[in-house]
Amino acid sequence: MDEYLVGVLSNVGVISFVALSAYLLLLTGEITFGQQAFFAIGAYAAGIATAMWGWTLAAGLGFGALAGALSATIVGVPTLRLHGLYFAIATLAFAEMVRILFEMFRYQIEIDGEWVGPNGADGFRDIRYIFENDISGMEFMLIIYGLLTVILAGFMLLERSRLGVIFRMIGEDEVLAGLQGVSVARYRILAAAIAGALAGIGGGLYAHLTTYIEPRIFDVMLGVHSLAYGLIGGLGTALGPILGVLIDIGLLESIRALSGYRMIIFGGLVALLLIVRPRGLLDERLVHRIGVALRGGRKMRV
Amino acid sequence: MKYQSKATAVRWLMPVLLPAVFLAHPAFAQVRAKADVTCRQAGGPLEYDCIVKLINARSSEPLSGVSLTIGADMPSMPGVHHLRPAVAIEDQERGTYRAKLVLDMHGDWALQLNLSGPLRDRIVKVLRFEGGEVGEVKAGQGRKAHGH
Repeated sequence: MDEYLVGVLSNVGVISFVALSAYLLLLTGEITFGQQAFFAIGAYAAGIATAMWGWTLAAGLGFGALAGALSATIVGVPTLRLHGLYFAIATLAFAEMVRILFEMFRYQIEIDGEWVGPNGADGFRDIRYIFENDISGMEFMLIIYGLLTVILAGFMLLERSRLGVIFRMIGEDEVLAGLQGVSVARYRILAAAIAGALAGIGGGLYAHLTTYIEPRIFDVMLGVHSLAYGLIGGLGTALGPILGVLIDIGLLESIRALSGYRMIIFGGLVALLLIVRPRGLLDERLVHRIGVALRGGRKMRV
Repeated sequence: MKYQSKATAVRWLMPVLLPAVFLAHPAFAQVRAKADVTCRQAGGPLEYDCIVKLINARSSEPLSGVSLTIGADMPSMPGVHHLRPAVAIEDQERGTYRAKLVLDMHGDWALQLNLSGPLRDRIVKVLRFEGGEVGEVKAGQGRKAHGH
C-alpha cells in the first residue's frame, strides 16, 4: 500500500480514539472541549515509557491509558456539579493548563549519546520504538486498527449492556436517571475515566506514529475537532465519530486542490449538517432503522 | 444465549488483539541518522526546494544510498494537514539529497524525513516557512500556528 495512504489511514485511526472519547461523554450529555488533554497525557506517558524507560509498546500504551484515566478521574470529581457551557469551559481550561504545563515540562536522559525526553516547548523527539523494533508503517497501522476494532467491539457490547443504557439515560435526563436509582455521580466519573483512557491510548499511538510530539499539537483545535466528529458522524452508534473522522481527514485530504480553503469548506459542511441533521449522519433513528432492516433481513433468510 | 454471543465476539477478536498487544519487544540500540535541512522558495509561493544532508549519528560519515522521502505535518492541526511524501534524489555530493515540497500554506511544518534501505529511521525537523524565509524553529522561539 502507498506510504501516503498508510499515513492518512493511520491518522484516521489514531484520531478516532480521541473522537470516541468525546463521543462517550456526549452520550452522558456532556460537551467537552478538553479531551486533547488526555490525548496529550497519554502521548507523553507512553512516549516516556518506551523511549526513556525501555518499556514494550503494549506496556507503554497501557501506561498512557492509565495516566489518561487517572487524570480524567481527577478532573471529573471537581467538575461533577458543572453542566453544559460551564462544564465545556472547565474542560477547556484544564486542557489549556495541561498544554502550558507540558511547555514547561523538561525531563531528559542521555541514551546512546543523545538527550531523549520532553524538552518543554521544543517537544519530545526520538520516540523511535517502531524503528528500533523494525515495525513497518503498515504493521503499525494494523496495530492501530486492531486496537480500534477491540474498542469498537467494546462500544457495541456497551450499547447492549445495562451500563450503556445508564449512560444514555443520564445523557437524556440525569434527574430522572437519579430518580430511577442511578448513582449519577458515580457513572459520570466512570464515563470520564473510560473516555480519558481511550484518549490516552490514542495519544500513545500518535506519539509512536509520528515519533515526535510537542505541546501545541494538543491545543483547542484538536478538542473542537474531536467533539465535532461525533456531532457530524452521528450519536446513534460508535461508528458515528469514526465516520466524522473519515469525512474530516478523508474529505480534507481528497480536495487538496482547494488548499487553504479546505477548512472553510469543512466548517460550512459542519454547519449545514448540524442544521439538517442535529444528531449527526448516523443518528439514533437511522441506526434503529438499519437495525430493524438487518433483523428483518435475517428473518427472511431463516 | 447472550453470553454465548459475547464469547463468540471475544473469540473473533483474539486474532486481532493478540498481534496488537504482543507485537512488542523491548527497545534496543541501532545506528541512527542525523540531518541538516535547508529549504528555499522555488517557483510558486508555496513551493520549496529542500536540501537534506544526512550523516551517521555515531561516525558522522555521510549517509549515502539511502531511500529518502520527506513528508510534512502542521503541528497545530495533527492529522489534517498531512503532505504526500516527496521523494528526495541523492546529489553528486555523498549524503546530500534534494526534494521539492509543495505546502498547503505558510506556517510551521514538522518535516518527517523517512529513511529506508540500508538504514530505516525517521528524523523530524520543525521549520517555519514564511514566504522566502525558512528557518528551523528553536526552543523558546514563538510558535506560529497555521494560517487560514
